[in-house]
Amino acid sequence: MKLSLNWLKQYIDLDGITTEEVVENLTTAGLEVDEVIDQKKLYDNFVVGYVKERVKHPNADKLSLCKVVVDEEEYPIVCGAPNVDAGQKIILAKIGAKIPNEDFTISKSKIRGEVSMGMICSERELGISDEHEGIMVLDENIESGTAFSDAFRLNDVIIDIDITPNRADAFSHIGSARDLAAVFGRKLKLPELNLTETDEDVNSIASVEIENEVDCPRYVAKVVENVTIKESPEWLKKRLTAIGLRPINNVVDVTNFVLYEVGQPLHAFDLDQLAGNKIIIRCAGKDEKFVTLDSKERKLLETDLLICDAEKAVAIAGVMGGENSEVTESTKNILIESAYFRPSSIRKTSKKLGLQTDASIRFERGCDVDVTIFAAKRAAQLIAELGNGEIAKGEIDVYPNVIAKKKVSLRISRIKKILGFDIPTEKVKEIFSGLEFEMVSEADETLTYSIPTFRHDIEREIDLIEEVARIYGYDNIPAIAKIGVSVERRVDHSSFNDNVRETLSSLGFYEIITNSLLNKELASRFGNPVGVLNPQSVEMSHIRPSLLPGLLSTISRNIKVKESNLKLYEVGHVITKLNDTINDFSDFEETEHLLFAITGLANEDEWYSKKREFDFYDLKGFISSFLNSVTNSSKVKLKYNNSNDDGIFEYSIENLIAKNKIAEGGKVKSSILKEFGISQDVFAFDVNLTELKKIEVELSSFSELLKFPKVKKDCAFILDSNIDYNSVVKIIESNSSKLLKNVKLFDIFESESLGVNKKSLAFELSYFDEKKTLTEEEVEKEFWKAIESVKNKFNAELRG
Amino acid sequence: MLDRIELAEKNFKTEIESEIDLEKLEEVRIKYLGRKGLFTELFEEFKQLPKEEKPKYGQVLNKAKSLAQKLFDELKSKLESSEAEQKEYIDLTLAGRGVNLGSKHILTQTLDEIKGIFKGLGFSIYEGPELESDHNNFEMLNFPADHPARDMQDTFFVNDNFLLRTHTSPVQVRLMENTKPPIRALMPGKVYRNEAISAKSYCLFHQVEGLYVDEDVTFAELKGTLVAFLKQFFGEDVKYRFRPSFFPFTEPSAEVDVWWQQKGKEGKWLEILGCGMVDPNVLENVKIDNEKYVGYAFGMGVERIAMLKYGVGDIRVFFDNDKRFLEQF
Repeated sequence: MKLSLNWLKQYIDLDGITTEEVVENLTTAGLEVDEVIDQKKLYDNFVVGYVKERVKHPNADKLSLCKVVVDEEEYPIVCGAPNVDAGQKIILAKIGAKIPNEDFTISKSKIRGEVSMGMICSERELGISDEHEGIMVLDENIESGTAFSDAFRLNDVIIDIDITPNRADAFSHIGSARDLAAVFGRKLKLPELNLTETDEDVNSIASVEIENEVDCPRYVAKVVENVTIKESPEWLKKRLTAIGLRPINNVVDVTNFVLYEVGQPLHAFDLDQLAGNKIIIRCAGKDEKFVTLDSKERKLLETDLLICDAEKAVAIAGVMGGENSEVTESTKNILIESAYFRPSSIRKTSKKLGLQTDASIRFERGCDVDVTIFAAKRAAQLIAELGNGEIAKGEIDVYPNVIAKKKVSLRISRIKKILGFDIPTEKVKEIFSGLEFEMVSEADETLTYSIPTFRHDIEREIDLIEEVARIYGYDNIPAIAKIGVSVERRVDHSSFNDNVRETLSSLGFYEIITNSLLNKELASRFGNPVGVLNPQSVEMSHIRPSLLPGLLSTISRNIKVKESNLKLYEVGHVITKLNDTINDFSDFEETEHLLFAITGLANEDEWYSKKREFDFYDLKGFISSFLNSVTNSSKVKLKYNNSNDDGIFEYSIENLIAKNKIAEGGKVKSSILKEFGISQDVFAFDVNLTELKKIEVELSSFSELLKFPKVKKDCAFILDSNIDYNSVVKIIESNSSKLLKNVKLFDIFESESLGVNKKSLAFELSYFDEKKTLTEEEVEKEFWKAIESVKNKFNAELRG
Repeated sequence: MLDRIELAEKNFKTEIESEIDLEKLEEVRIKYLGRKGLFTELFEEFKQLPKEEKPKYGQVLNKAKSLAQKLFDELKSKLESSEAEQKEYIDLTLAGRGVNLGSKHILTQTLDEIKGIFKGLGFSIYEGPELESDHNNFEMLNFPADHPARDMQDTFFVNDNFLLRTHTSPVQVRLMENTKPPIRALMPGKVYRNEAISAKSYCLFHQVEGLYVDEDVTFAELKGTLVAFLKQFFGEDVKYRFRPSFFPFTEPSAEVDVWWQQKGKEGKWLEILGCGMVDPNVLENVKIDNEKYVGYAFGMGVERIAMLKYGVGDIRVFFDNDKRFLEQF
């Protein structure tokens, strides 16, 4: 909400307090200042000028070339306004002037070949009205060279504050001034009422009936007759334009003024348009429709509260009035509505209609039920003053169930328990009296307060403690850190994933974080995703069931910027829908996954090596390094799939724990890559970390270092080329004793010289014994036994 | 004969002291120390001498020969090593064989730094699900249905009862429901806000939540803990302010701003975290005695802090994962 500093000063004496101090203290009291606009600075470089000459622009029909004189200096200006003419006094925005409300600074320019050294302004460009038909022409007596802010007495400071949802009371100048009064220890000055009323009783002119007392606990009406509708005086227009409101006419302007003065939304009805001079507050009927002031037809629900006359609806309560009863130029008699509506009722209607107004934001947060009469009187007085109207005697006040002020107690000891330090009781009392809280009793170190009706947020002791802290000043609260060691065993849910990240990063992978919201088609391609009811766009309507689409999109984007050699990983949550409707946490599964991928070149051409593309064996190497690093369990088994019709991979390996697949990796099918516009191979590995984490990591126990020499023996076999390396190793292992410690494949080749569909595998077998040095004989025996078993099993030939 | 020994020694010295390479040195060796060399000749002559004269010459000859041998050995090894050095000249300026290091995402690194500070203060780390119930995300945290406070957090709903969590606070609820005080925990994770994507906001971000519930937890203690954090994270002379704010789940509530000034620009206050004393209603909801126990909670956005610390102007950069960006951290 925008506050005008000049306006604020009507309610609090700010003598001796600088603007900076006001701003600072609003913030520290909880009304955070977003922006401060000093009108004098805002209109720097806007000056009064004299149009000495005007000719047509040589190259454009609708433009004029002007010579504008400011302080004897002449400025060439190109102007597009139809009403510009020689002899006028105008406002010139010089070079460097910043146009308010628009992100635009005037600079020297050439328009259709002619130099322009500034701009002649319209009222809209000056931010003082919506007028944009032509430039603003001033009184010819105003001296050229006068600053615009001086000529128009714009000497206000506008303070834009953020109001948190709990502080409905601060939604006005008086409300904000009240906080300042408490902070500065000054008195709040309320405007004095001084109404001249006629002898005619308002109850004889109009009547009010509340049908729905729950949603409308109080309705106050006041009547002003024989009003002349006209433009508001300068002082009022200035107040409103300062805070960004557009002046309309004296009546509407007064209701807006009072709204921003005391925070009570008002509505002015043309009394002569109210059938039966009657107001009825009821809920909308079935399928009822209503045309609001903005000329839009609104469909209503039976829970929406309406203000009606004897025949028809005239306003949506607390949200917006209707066209049928609005104040027009011909209006004479006015009924001022000053009501209190139940916050949640207004909120519901406003939300459903998607219609938020100055009135609805205040009503839905909670207005002051007790200020209604004051506000109605204040508005009546001003309308009568500005429109020569006559105020009917008294007011209609329908208030069937009086809302009692709440009483809340505060134990002085509790302040210390919550805040952590002592505040003298006298200081506490001073704070509450500044906030207009009335103390009703004091006993046993306990203060009991009657809570003003404008403070909906104060219900409990803790709320009072917050008030103490807020006005005392958070900055004045000491920072104490007595936090000691915690005796309890500490838990770290993230340590496993931290280790996963460390491992991948040290293997040369970059971590990525991608958007978990995907479009439906893409998300469904990789699993059964959960959809979002209210997405920002169809591109982000479903929650990812897999990390793969995010990673492939990242690869694709990087390739586009010529970064095509990539090692990337992501750790994140994926969500799979298990049942069509989600009523419970068992209807979906949320798990943590790791996905890593390699694509492009493993290494480029270098002085020491030739370039090489990543292949499956690079992936496999990373997989085994990764698994060795994060888990040492022998429970993780491998399974190979050479073809995979349904899956994501052309060929893959799976990691299993007790036959459950917890990870899978391989070459991503090129049909999938094509969808992402990727034409190079991608090898990826996806792990369910939630499952992997469950395996208990076995504590490594130390094994004695070798004391006796290792014996290594080499052999090479010629085999059919479809025999896997792994099956050969298995035969060697199963036909050896525990002396065989390692089998390593050190060469593989295929050649015609070996025969058709034959290959050669060369192995190095390592033997040793923990207890003694092996003899040549022992090793030979083991070695030849293994060789024979391979020869027999695979019909292999031992190479010479 | 003594003269000849002396001469041989002198000539030998002269020859090896002149400029010489290994090849020439070998020639000199053969000439003096070889099988038919000068010293060998002298020894042959010495053998012919009468017995009584032998002692007179023997000592001198032996000494001269071993000196020559010693000088030769020294020079040879010196020449050999210098020759070896010359042969093995290597170009030290060539690039080393590359080992590519990867890195954790800058948001992870920032989070790690935050976690590290609070771990040092004895906080545990807890995590929770992203797809949450309205019950845990709002109701238990004192957001009544139909309350304007719900508008503070634009929410992605899955249906009436489930949503993408808007903050990490539901992890608090889960933790307090299952643990007795004292509780001292940090809860990091992804959260979602239904906002249009722009330079300033993204549909998801990372939050870190802290919670401390015990008998003697106070607002002053909260301030102390957070000031300790700010100094650790931003430096000893960090300028900060605590100002009142509103969150349904804390009371009193505060926001913490840090004074931020970039070179050549005007300084300004930037909000970096929200905090407060756990609202008694929240404690009651999780069945913790709110008369005996008091708690504080705080939360901060990792993106916001990383943007500040590393001068990132557009939040979307974090999620574009351009390698040229990833490589920078």
